[in-house]
Amino acid sequence: MSELVKISEVQWEIPASARSDMRVPARVFADRELLAAIEGDGSLEQIQNVATLPGVVEVALAMPDVHQGYGFPVGGVAAMELPDGVVSPGGVGYDINCGVRLLALPLAEAELGRRREALVHEISREVPAGAGKTKRGTHRTADLDVLLRDGPRGFGRTEDVERTESGGSLPGADAAAVSERARERGASQLGTMGSGNHFVELQRVVRLFDQRAAEAYGLRDDQVTVLIHSGSRGLGHQVCTDYVKQMDAAMRRHGIELPDRQLACAPASSPEGRAYLAAMAAAANFAWANRQAIADAVRAAVARVLGNESAEGTRQVYDVAHNVAKVERYDGRELLVHRKGATRAFPAGSAEIPEPYRELGQPVFIPGSMGTASFVLAGEPGSIALAFGSTCHGAGRRLSRTATRKQIAGAELRRELEGRGIVVRSPSTKGLAEEAPVAYKDVDRVVDIVERVGLSRRVAQLTPIGVIKG
Amino acid sequence: MFRWVEHTAELELEIEAPSEAAVFEEALIAFAELAGDGGGYPVTHELELEAEESSMLLVEWLSELVYLSEAEQFVPARTASLELADGRLRATVEGHRGEPKHLVKAVTLHRLALRQDDTAGWHARVVLDV
Repeated sequence: MSELVKISEVQWEIPASARSDMRVPARVFADRELLAAIEGDGSLEQIQNVATLPGVVEVALAMPDVHQGYGFPVGGVAAMELPDGVVSPGGVGYDINCGVRLLALPLAEAELGRRREALVHEISREVPAGAGKTKRGTHRTADLDVLLRDGPRGFGRTEDVERTESGGSLPGADAAAVSERARERGASQLGTMGSGNHFVELQRVVRLFDQRAAEAYGLRDDQVTVLIHSGSRGLGHQVCTDYVKQMDAAMRRHGIELPDRQLACAPASSPEGRAYLAAMAAAANFAWANRQAIADAVRAAVARVLGNESAEGTRQVYDVAHNVAKVERYDGRELLVHRKGATRAFPAGSAEIPEPYRELGQPVFIPGSMGTASFVLAGEPGSIALAFGSTCHGAGRRLSRTATRKQIAGAELRRELEGRGIVVRSPSTKGLAEEAPVAYKDVDRVVDIVERVGLSRRVAQLTPIGVIKG
Repeated sequence: MFRWVEHTAELELEIEAPSEAAVFEEALIAFAELAGDGGGYPVTHELELEAEESSMLLVEWLSELVYLSEAEQFVPARTASLELADGRLRATVEGHRGEPKHLVKAVTLHRLALRQDDTAGWHARVVLDV
């Protein structure tokens, strides 16, 4: 794209002058190869669209894993000045607080040995996969109110909650701002994974890049880990649906014109803005409760296969959100940071980081595509200086689902993964094929870029030994 | 008729139909293709929806199907009747209770369009989050 100005080998900028409606520049973190892929879809236009939002400050950002979405690109970050900058539900996405949680088991893969398949099987029995699946013993309405307000605080292990972004509970959550429909869609889905790119993966630590941080995070060579990727399920999808509609209807009243209707937004201080933020916080808390319930289910599976002591010793490393809007302070200003497909990555010293990790930086988890490496990163000072405390969130999609299915059949992929010693449990062969590694960018390259820019650094590399897919 | 257009992460639905009502009927058939098949007892839903403009009414229509498939495991099969007037939709939808296979998370407003084209046919485009 001709408007792109090179800032460095890994930073590119589209000046605000490129379009009359842009309020700030748009910046992309990528090398030439990733940039070529990014230019191949609509994500650069979408990040420019984000740069038009009222109240946006400094720069709209695209992470190296950015790809075309709707409204915001996936992998987009933008900060709005409060109180009157806008909040955009589409800037958070339908899967509010989709995120990743990492558990570390108290054993090495060598010790797990032949019990691996049994463990993957038990986890798949405990964690319902697939779209719309429900779980036995779901919560009553009164319980749901508590989950929306407190997230996992009422039922999760204290040390799990302490090792969760925002302590697993965003302030300002209001269950009354969540519609009856959203509650109906979510109430029965607590503890379920969902479909699409959601998964639970059994992994082992294959490489340590930063011994000191790895030790603090409780990770050692060959250790068995479980990575959980899920979100707020139907409840969050409905909250976003409800408020995109409300804001779309209110835009004229607020005098806002946008290049993409899916960016529908309202001043954060307006009645619509306040109501959305209260509902979004409730949905985010529900997502943290969901990942807590999944973690508890994983521990139940560990107990059955490996014994109670192993379940007791299964520690939560951390839990990060990658679809959320949060109030944060930068240079004395209070900003509403939208992260859609991007992860908070605060550097060492932040009071937001749990005390045992505080001097090392916030843990960040970057799942690779199915069957490839995932990374544990730590937040670096560059995230604050350049990216409103953010880094990437994954490998980033490259091919459409249809195109992916044309390249590889689900059964073939299943055989290939199993041939590499990865145990696979998935109810949908088609769904499996759609998430094949070929559909994604190279996660090593994505992680390399965020390290070179200084947003976060590598701590450990994980490789899958079992995959449970929705 | 409808077709799915390539989109990196989502599903873009394009519909061409001889009337506005037929656009809505085609949208249901497209959604049914995603929701899948399977057994289950027959179910009929009477729907009444309204919106300020017809494209938003299409979003409401598909959103209703998303909701019913998730909250009530409803797999739609056909539109038995459908009336459109003054931003209101009234329809009887037949299907069955099943296990929808591939649920749509939501219906977006991205690139949303519903219009009558020069050849007196109707054209619609809607992007689904999957």
